[in-house]
Amino acid sequence: MNPAVPTWAGVAASAALVGLTILLAWHGRLNLARDIAVAAVRAGFQLAAVGAILLLVFHHAGRAGAAGWLAVMVLLAGRVAAKRATGLPRALPIATASAAVATATTLGTLLALGVIAPDARVVIPVGGMVVSGAMQATALVLVRARDEAHAARPAIEARLALGLPSAEAFAPHLRSGVRTALIPAIDSTKVVGLISLPGAMTGLILAGVDPFTAIRYQIVVMYMLLAAAALAALTAARLAERAMFDDAHRLRPLTSPPSKARA
Amino acid sequence: MRATTSSAFALEQVTLRRGDAVLLDGVTCEIAAGACTALIGSNGAGKSTLLRLLNRLDEPTSGVVRFHGEPLPDLDVLALRRRVGLVGQRPVLLTDRVLDDLRVGRPGLTEEEGTALLARAHLPAGMLLRPTAGLSGGESQRLCLARALAVGPQVLLLDEPTSALDPVSAAAVEDTVRDLIAGGLTVVLVSHDAAQARRLAGQVLVLRGGRLSEQGPVHDIGYLKERA
Repeated sequence: MNPAVPTWAGVAASAALVGLTILLAWHGRLNLARDIAVAAVRAGFQLAAVGAILLLVFHHAGRAGAAGWLAVMVLLAGRVAAKRATGLPRALPIATASAAVATATTLGTLLALGVIAPDARVVIPVGGMVVSGAMQATALVLVRARDEAHAARPAIEARLALGLPSAEAFAPHLRSGVRTALIPAIDSTKVVGLISLPGAMTGLILAGVDPFTAIRYQIVVMYMLLAAAALAALTAARLAERAMFDDAHRLRPLTSPPSKARA
Repeated sequence: MRATTSSAFALEQVTLRRGDAVLLDGVTCEIAAGACTALIGSNGAGKSTLLRLLNRLDEPTSGVVRFHGEPLPDLDVLALRRRVGLVGQRPVLLTDRVLDDLRVGRPGLTEEEGTALLARAHLPAGMLLRPTAGLSGGESQRLCLARALAVGPQVLLLDEPTSALDPVSAAAVEDTVRDLIAGGLTVVLVSHDAAQARRLAGQVLVLRGGRLSEQGPVHDIGYLKERA
């Protein structure tokens, strides 16, 4: 066993930090002691369950299990992103398709080029990062697209009234939404290693891999997250634009105001 | 009812429902070509809704709208909108510079053509390269008129074009519209201002609660006589 990985006794000992946090909360009369305790216990059980399931998948389900695991993650990511975009027509299929396209293309490229091994123990954690990045970008684009369509309806209809097709009439608004969605991925790529030591690299270093080897993985992770965000954002933008306009290039009424949907 | 040769639009039993609300209820009328027709009535009567049907920004639930005899769904919607321009109640400028705004619907527009459009809208030629940010409400609305004219429409739909403006700006926009009508452009003007309808329109359609209550030459309309 790698000495850098805590033993179960070590994990139990780290619960002392939770105890300290509860003590501070109780002392400061924050009325959060119960929430902290529940959160800590929940985190322990959730991670233990995930660990057990991953162990099963790695040892018994193989690549088919990894593909199934990824599919479930994509479906969940679609639901989460779609929930943010309440009021947007066909939000759920759009969000799910965007996460799926981004995940399939990014992971497919990495696998096809032989950058990562086609093993469940590699594909699942790497895929998780890709799905998560795609989900964030999808949610940001869909929320911005919905809000822009709501707030900028007069400008969009002014362009439509000049005979512009819906894609052109909505393009300036959608472009700003896609730019906004890509800012987190671009900024975190810019400052990686300077402001934060990212997760994959930290994990490898903790597991005893030398830092210069660990950064190779991290570089791949940053590039793949950039691609996943861009693919998800552009897919979501295109699909959202199609869903918000009808065949006669009319902006459909949005059923729920953005303020209500955001609440 | 078939459209006569002189009518730009003919509406036959046009109804528009949204949920439980009936916004237009069995409207049948004609709108003459080469003249100004005013759509008047109180707030919520369905005037703007009817206007938006004419360039398919809205679609009737039932009934037919014809343009020069052709049902609107049979026409290419983008081509229709270039033939039937629309200017809304509040000026909406789309770019940072006057010339760029004129180019939204016509990307290849030259500076000379832009200057000519400004002149048609009673705006000074020197404004062409100015930023749109500093324009007054009246100037902005006339720029919207010029932008709509840039694509060469046969019809201009005006949705209360002066209601958001101060009296001086409103008079300037009205002068521009009057000249466009005199130049033979078909204009459909939505207005809640009876005096403006009398000044600009030859024909009037009066809507009440989504129904057409009166139609005819401006001097025969009882709704306008009541508000003289």
